[in-house]
Amino acid sequence: MALQVYTASLLKEGLVAYLALENGRPSWTSDIHQATVSEMATLDDLKQAAEQSEQDNIIVAPYAIDVLKTENGIVATTKREQIRAEGPTIELPQDTTRESRQAA
Amino acid sequence: MYKYSEQDHQLLLERVSQFRGQVDRRLKGELSEEEFKHQRLRNGLYLQLHAYMLRVAIPYGLLSSEQMRTLAHIARKYDKGYGHFSTRQNIQYNWPKLEDVPDILDDLAKVEMHAIQTSGNCIRNTTSDPLAGVARDEIEDPRPYCELIRQWSTFHPEFNFLPRKFKIAVSGATHDRAAVAVHDIGLRLVKSETSEETGFEVYVGGGLGRTPMLGKIIRKYLPKQDMLTYLEAILRVYNMLGRRDNIYKARIKILVHETGEERFRELVETEWEKIKAGGLFLRDEDFNWVKGFFNDPVYESLPDSDADFENLMLSNAEFARWVDKNIELHKQSGYRIVYLSLKTAHQPPGDVTADQMDAIADLADKYSLGHIRTTHRQNLVLSDVPLKDLPALWEELKALDLATPNYNHVTDIISCPGLDYCALATARSIPISQAITARFDDYDFINDLGDVSINISGCINACGHHHVANIGILGVNKKGTEVYQLTLGGSAREDAAIGKIIGPAFEADEIVDAVGKVLAVYLESREEPEETFLMTYRRLGQAPFKERLYG
Ligand code: HEM
Ligand code: SF4
Repeated sequence: MALQVYTASLLKEGLVAYLALENGRPSWTSDIHQATVSEMATLDDLKQAAEQSEQDNIIVAPYAIDVLKTENGIVATTKREQIRAEGPTIELPQDTTRESRQAA
Repeated sequence: MYKYSEQDHQLLLERVSQFRGQVDRRLKGELSEEEFKHQRLRNGLYLQLHAYMLRVAIPYGLLSSEQMRTLAHIARKYDKGYGHFSTRQNIQYNWPKLEDVPDILDDLAKVEMHAIQTSGNCIRNTTSDPLAGVARDEIEDPRPYCELIRQWSTFHPEFNFLPRKFKIAVSGATHDRAAVAVHDIGLRLVKSETSEETGFEVYVGGGLGRTPMLGKIIRKYLPKQDMLTYLEAILRVYNMLGRRDNIYKARIKILVHETGEERFRELVETEWEKIKAGGLFLRDEDFNWVKGFFNDPVYESLPDSDADFENLMLSNAEFARWVDKNIELHKQSGYRIVYLSLKTAHQPPGDVTADQMDAIADLADKYSLGHIRTTHRQNLVLSDVPLKDLPALWEELKALDLATPNYNHVTDIISCPGLDYCALATARSIPISQAITARFDDYDFINDLGDVSINISGCINACGHHHVANIGILGVNKKGTEVYQLTLGGSAREDAAIGKIIGPAFEADEIVDAVGKVLAVYLESREEPEETFLMTYRRLGQAPFKERLYG
């Protein structure tokens, strides 16, 4: 079976988060590389921890995603999840002058 | 512009304070996400791919400079320093925190703005012609009618839980700049054939999304006094008979399609007979009251020529290009309408930074009577600029990167947020728009191509209006790869048409070439430079384009 990690949105900020289990206790990180992969804990443990965090109103709508372990760390398998992990693939608008934007 | 009454203000403040309480209870865990979700959606707050997204209503696309400054302030204080003007003439913030949203709504309320009915199965923000009140081809100003619709539809108890969302557009001019044919209801102001009166041509059942359809004209002439009674009748029929069993069949377009135009018309007229003399019948005093909010500003009497302007036109090609592309004649001599292009090579279509917003507000005060309009093509408009001020305004717009001479031209691309932001997306759309812009960003080429539209959506919901573009692009997920379907021949104007898919989809690195080939066929085949892309396509059909793309 493919490796998986748990992801969700933080209730307060709405930002993307991944589940990391430390001694069985859940914490949520924005860094997918810090996530606990389903080989280090059982998927059931992850699921339970995620649901607990949902009940504790830390996160919203948790679900498992498929990942690969590569030399660059943990990488999601779908484009959608890669974009969630990395942020928009475009440059966000910024208040710089036109000249510096064009030079960039 | 409409000014809130004391009651309006009160209502809005109560609504914000109610939502503040709900957010508070949610954060404390007293409300579950299931319970809270409906409340937040009713207040324009979505949960998107990376964060919450707040959609703020801009009634029929009209903003004061003060409101624009508030939008800038919100972008700076609560978001990442920018906002996105959407195809529904609204603005969306992509990164607000839940705990900040009540404060944002408070700031908005201070300038008579809100996010109510920007989401959910209710009557959404009514959209209109961005040139309302200043266009030369106007039959009558549509804004008073939009305002009457806004007041009728806001918190309308009967229509708060429709089978699906409901969108109304109103146009008052010969040329349709509000895309009335692709809305649930489209109203076009027309002159009566028998008197001096104006009334409405009524379109029902248009829409994009999964099943694109053009609205059917269910009444050729509706006296304007009957506008609200007739809308109420249509909404009642829809509310009773619209499908609630299947979300894909719930829009009124499906009801009209399945019932048949004739029968649907009968149902509406029967309902209308019952209520047409009722309290919603509009009297002269109703019109006079609401029209008072949209009186013409006091225009100076200015000559329709200016020596400095003319000199610059002759001596500065860049200025002349901008005037040629982004300026439109005004009904008042000595004034011009100016399009601010939000389509540059440097920013996603429709995105504006906080500093740009503040600067636009200042420019509106300085040059255009303090008002700004948004367009459904994701651009902005300064509607009342004296001709003599155009050179100075141009200098300032250039410095802000808002003077790209491309209005209604090939790089004036509509793009939805797509997979870079949207939880429903199947593919990215902004990078495709940027790649197309980068490829064709040459003034002579753009100018030679003339009037042509490219619209891109990141999924079948069609927020990017790809069905009604001359060249439409739809991003699809094919076995994990983003691919792009090409649609040709659509139009969102008075000659509205749904484009047709030309053939198998293209990979991301092929789609720009494919667009290039389509444009090349047009340039080679047009009979004269005045023949637009759409005219050539309509004359020749798909064949030559298909041949070049797949032959
Ligand atoms: C990013 C979050 C968004 C979500 C979750 C969302 C959701 C949807 C859905 C589900 C539909 C299909 C409705 C239907 O026809 O049944 C739709 C259509 C539409 N949305 Fe959005 N949308 C989003 C962003 C936008 C944006 C950014 C725009 C404007 C640029 C927009 C404007 C529209 C328009 C114009 C349609 C076409 C509907 C029609 O007339 O048939 N939406 N959206
Ligand atoms: S068309 Fe699809 S991808 Fe684009 S904004 Fe709408 S729902 Fe999102």
